[in-house]
Order: sequence, then C-alpha cells, then structure tokens
Amino acid sequence: MSQISRRQAMAILGALGFGATAAACAGPGGSTAPGGASGPAAPSTGAVTGKVSFAHWRGEDKAVFDELIKRFAAKHDGVEVAQDISTSNDYNAQALQKLRGGSIGDAFATFRGAQFKNFTEAGIYTELKDSQAVKNYQKGLLSAGQNGDSQLGLPYQVVFPMPMANVDLFDKAGAEIAPKNWDAFLAMCEKLASAGVIPISWPGGDVGNGGQLFNCMIANNAPVDDMCAQIEQGKLKCTDDWFIKMLNQYKDLKPFVQPNATGTAVEPAQNLFSQGKAAMLATGSYHIAAVRGLGAKFPIDLVFPNTTSDGNGKYEGVYNATFILGVNSASKNQAAAAAWIDFLSEPENAGYYANQTAQHVSVDKVEYTNPDLKRLSPWLQKKTALAARFQFNNLDVRNAVEASATAVISGTSPEQAAAAAQKIVDERL
Amino acid sequence: MSIHPGTAAERKAPGSHTPANPAKARRRSPTRVNPALYLFPLPAVAVVAFFLVMPTLQAFQYAITDWNGFSAAFNYVGLDNFIRAFTKDSLFTNALTNNLKFVLLVVIAQTLFSLILALLLTRNSRGSILLRALFFFPTILSSVSVAFIWKFIYDPNFGLANSVLRTVGVDGGAYLGNDAQALYWVAVTQVWFHSGQMMVVYIAGLQAIPRELYEAAEMDGANKWQQFKSITWPFVAPATSIVVAYTTVQSFKAFDLILGIAGNPPKSSLDILSTRIYSTFANSEFGYAAAQSIIFMAMIALVTWLQRRLLRLTPKGD
Repeated sequence: MSQISRRQAMAILGALGFGATAAACAGPGGSTAPGGASGPAAPSTGAVTGKVSFAHWRGEDKAVFDELIKRFAAKHDGVEVAQDISTSNDYNAQALQKLRGGSIGDAFATFRGAQFKNFTEAGIYTELKDSQAVKNYQKGLLSAGQNGDSQLGLPYQVVFPMPMANVDLFDKAGAEIAPKNWDAFLAMCEKLASAGVIPISWPGGDVGNGGQLFNCMIANNAPVDDMCAQIEQGKLKCTDDWFIKMLNQYKDLKPFVQPNATGTAVEPAQNLFSQGKAAMLATGSYHIAAVRGLGAKFPIDLVFPNTTSDGNGKYEGVYNATFILGVNSASKNQAAAAAWIDFLSEPENAGYYANQTAQHVSVDKVEYTNPDLKRLSPWLQKKTALAARFQFNNLDVRNAVEASATAVISGTSPEQAAAAAQKIVDERL
Repeated sequence: MSIHPGTAAERKAPGSHTPANPAKARRRSPTRVNPALYLFPLPAVAVVAFFLVMPTLQAFQYAITDWNGFSAAFNYVGLDNFIRAFTKDSLFTNALTNNLKFVLLVVIAQTLFSLILALLLTRNSRGSILLRALFFFPTILSSVSVAFIWKFIYDPNFGLANSVLRTVGVDGGAYLGNDAQALYWVAVTQVWFHSGQMMVVYIAGLQAIPRELYEAAEMDGANKWQQFKSITWPFVAPATSIVVAYTTVQSFKAFDLILGIAGNPPKSSLDILSTRIYSTFANSEFGYAAAQSIIFMAMIALVTWLQRRLLRLTPKGD
C-alpha cells in the first residue's frame, strides 16, 4: 500500500464529511409516505399467523385484551398478539413515528380528531371499507373513522364525556338529575351543596380530563356544529358573545366545584367522587371502571349541563366515538392484523370488551350485561352532539381555548380569558 | 564562543541541509504515513458522524423548513421559524420567560441551600454522616418518582401539604393550580431534588481546606464570618462555579420533572422551553420544533459562556 500524506488524508476525511453533510441534508421525510398517492389499499390477505403488535393507550384494558388475545389465538394456530401500550399523552406525541416503521402497531388505535387526521395524511391506514369488520358496526357511528369515501378506521368505543352522577346523593338531596336548562342545573348544584356535598368534582389541574366539560358547555351555546373547527380557522372567535356567554356559565360553576379545583389532578377528583364527597365527576363515562375500582358502590348516571335558558337546546347530551381501530399500511403482517380487528369487531367479543371495561361500543347487536352500561344505555338513543373539542387539529389552539375556561374558574374575567385564548388562535391562523 | 546561525530546526538537525525558503520546505516535507493507520479512528468517526454530526446538521436543516414530521412534502422557509418564535408565538416567549425565571430561582436557591447544607454537615460526626446520606437520598430517586411524590404533596384535596396545614387550622392553597405560584412550587421540588448532589460538590471543596488555617485564624481572633470570608469562601469558590454551571443546565432542561408534576401538556404557567419544544413536535410542527431546539441550544451555550466569563471564581492563593 502506497503511503499518503497527512494533507491527503485530511482531504479524504473532508470529502467524507462533505458527503455526510450532503446526506444529512437529504429532504426531511424523504421517503414517500406509506400508502402512497394512489390512496389506501385494503390490507393484504394471507394466512392468519405470526406476531401482531397491537398499539394503543388503554393500559387499564390490558387484562381484558389479554383474554381476548387468548380467544383469538385459540381460533388461529400460530398467531400471537402483543400489546404495545403507551400512556395517552405519549401515544399522542409518539405513536405516528413508532408506527411508520411497521414493526410496532400492525393493528393500532387512534384518537378522534387531530391524531386521526395526521395518521390519515401520513398514509398509515389501510382501507377497511370492504372488510368483514365494518359490517358489524352501527352505520351512524362510523363517521369518525372516515376520510372521504374511505373507511380508514373503526371507532370502537362510544363514551359520554358528561359529568357522572352519584344517584344516591342526588336522591338524598332531592336534586333533579335531568335539569331542563341552565337555571335548573344551577339550582340542582345549590341543592347538592346545601346537602353538604361538593356538587362537582372537576380535575382542573389535568388538561385532558378537565377539558371534557367543555364538550357539554359548548354544545348548545355555539351557533354551528363545527364550532371548534371554525374557531381554529378564524371564522368564529373566542371573543364572540356566545363564547363569552359560555365562559360566564363556567363562572357560575365556580362555587360548585371543589376548592382549589384548578390544582386538582384526575385521580384525586375521582377519589372525591368515589368516596361520596362529590355528587358529580365532570369527566365522562370512560371513568366508570376507574371509580368502581376505587370502591364506588352507588348507582351512576350521567348529567348534561344544559346551558340553554329555555330548555330548547339542540342537544340532550354529548358523546364521542373514539379508540379508532386501524390496520397499519406499513405492517408486514396485515392479514393477521386485519383478522385481529375483525375479531374485536364481532358482537360477542366487542360485548366482552364493553362489559368488562364498562364502556359502550359502536358495534351493533351487542348485549350489555354490565349494570352501569345497562343503566346508561338509554343515552345511546338520545340526541347527543359529537364531542366538539376533537374538532381542533392544532393542539396549541385546543389547549388555549380550553384553558380560557380554567382561567375563569381560577378568577380571571371571561372577557380577559377569551382575549388571551383568541391571541393564541390568531397567532396560529 | 561562536554562535551558530540559523533556525532552531536547523540547529537541532545538524545533518540536514538548509533550505532556501523554510516555509516552503515545511509544505514540501509532509509527514508520510501508512494510510492503514487512518482506518483505526474510522469506527469512532463514523459513530460520532452518524449519531452526533448528522442529527445536528439535520436539525439545522429541518429548522428552515415547514416539514410536519411525516409528510414527504415540505418547503424551505428560510429564517421564518426563528422569526416566528420571537415575534408571533406568545406560547414560546412565555415558555422562554418561565424558563429564565425558573433557572434564576433554582440557581440562587440551590447554590445557597447546598452550600449551607455542606457547611452544616462537614463535621465528621456519626450524625452528620447520616444526615449527609439523608440529604443525598433524593438524588438517587428517578425524576419521575420525585415528580409523582411532589404532585401528591401539592394536591389541594388529599395532599400532604394541605393536610398538615389543616391540622393547624390553616387553609392551604391550590399550589400548582395557582398560576401565579406554580413555577415557584416546582422550583422548590427541583431544589429539594438536586441540592444533595451539589452539597457533595461543596463538601469535597470544604474537606480540602487545611484545618490549621482555621486554628491560626482562631488564634488571631477571627470570628466565624471572618473565617468564612477569608478561608472557606476562597476554597469553595471554584466549586460554586461548577455548581452554578451544572444547576443552570439542569434547570434549563427540567423537562421530566415538569412533565411528571404538571402533566402533558403543562399549563402555560409551567411551560418551559423543553416542554414547549415537545408540544410543538407533538403538534406535528417538526420544522418549527427544530428551530426552537436550536434556539434552546444556543441559549444554554450563551448562558453557560456568560457564567464562565462572569463567575471566574478561583482560589486566591498567595
């Protein structure tokens, strides 16, 4: 080997460095998104075997899914399903990056709203329009998983993000559980307070759970159904009269939430409710299993804070179709992943999931045996609005708009709180 | 005695010929080495290039794009992301203000507290060894555990702080729920968490001080303050530089503690630069988040450099 000078060696290293720089400067996201421009294709078919990674955020449902996995494996020789569970916040932040590689999340769940939109744009979904699973769902509840003509995801759960009520405490206080209008709702809170309990336990220190009350408060106040989308687009403003009216109604609630509510995390708020110290928990039906786990023995119903003055509101409640199931277009085992989604969507298995987790499902012909679900089933037939906060695609906007309500509870004037929220919206227009 | 003329190189190499132009000669006589020798550092160079240089360069590149993190399409937007951060994004400037306030609070409190702890626990009695271990204990906990412990302490309904206050008839506050105070309460947690570690740095400095100096000072009638000012402080001053620099970087990056204690996303009163960057990434604004990361990196570098310039605390030896 001939010898080279130090200068020549430096030149070679320099060229390598330049090459590395050029490589680093390759366009971000340089590869075409999975799914491609031709639109999503149906999951590939083949033998239902091998390992399926199921990515989701519901750690509390792990045992139920474990049992369903056992049943699924018993039906298909050689198939294995592994749960990849993140917390909901981490899932929101990282799931897309994890799933893009295809090694995690052959089958996966997404949140309705911004996350579903991002996943759709990234081409992560396969087309489930012609799948066996889609036929099992109630048609009216599938829209949250649609993009144009495509059925990319299957909204699995139906939850009611409305305050849960301790029916015993309501009976004891002689409080009306279905107030007709805003004055009746406040009168109900007054009765509960007079009976010596906290009317509303509200986790104001937890951005996600504290924000669920917003769905109820905005439903009958807003002039249109896509109010949050229009706020984000600048067509409606937080400084509009209807929004200020809503913030004033939040102000009305201030005497009826627990002291220092803006510093209360979700677990202590659940505890206040479970221990019978608070009559309502302003999160939603998705917390029934948690409060039962904390020892709540009383019957639970839902209360809709009807914000109208005459009782003629458009909606009688709020629901959300979420936990949207999908099959990853980057998965190398789409056949087994699709079979797993089909399996979950069978009424018998969906029923098992629902009754064990105390959550309604979008699957048709499910028999609810869980006493809480049976009690709350009439809400499935009521005129309920699809939860509005998930219309926001920009999480900064969503947090800012919802934070205006929290600010009012902590003492800021509705006008000031609205102006602060609108400033953030304007910056992001 | 004759003086040999010429350069030092010529003098030390008596056998070599004298070139007409020494500078040219230096260029013409490169060290020739076996190229195989250059292969040895290549694995290390490759690792550094792949895991350090390339991601950093990519971050700079992303910072001038509007890339959303997953799409194949993106545009180069020049310095727009940097301009936006300072002129059109009150969430970013709020996080920046919070972060600077937090750093200032923690640096002052932690430096003073850890120095006081070290001074109190320098005696080698059995009790002081136990107390040192006790104060060092928080350091061995994970930041997530610390966050959850303090989240419980601060809970207004079931938390330890308000429970204790209620026993003496005082109504506690909302702590993290009070926007005006929230940052101070997290600063208390940060100081509790890291002071033990800084105390050890100070103890090491204090133990290097010869005891004879104190004995001599006492014989000269110096009081405790004079002893501290003239003996202790000059010896622990370099440790203070280390403590301040380390604490600054640590509190700039208190990401895990803030996220653990305040939740994700934290309220705007607790949003600091690292949590803001995380939220921006989660909001699918990859290019903008990369620009924020570069601002963050530059800020830490600047503050650290300023500290080194301003805090040249070296022992005043004679």
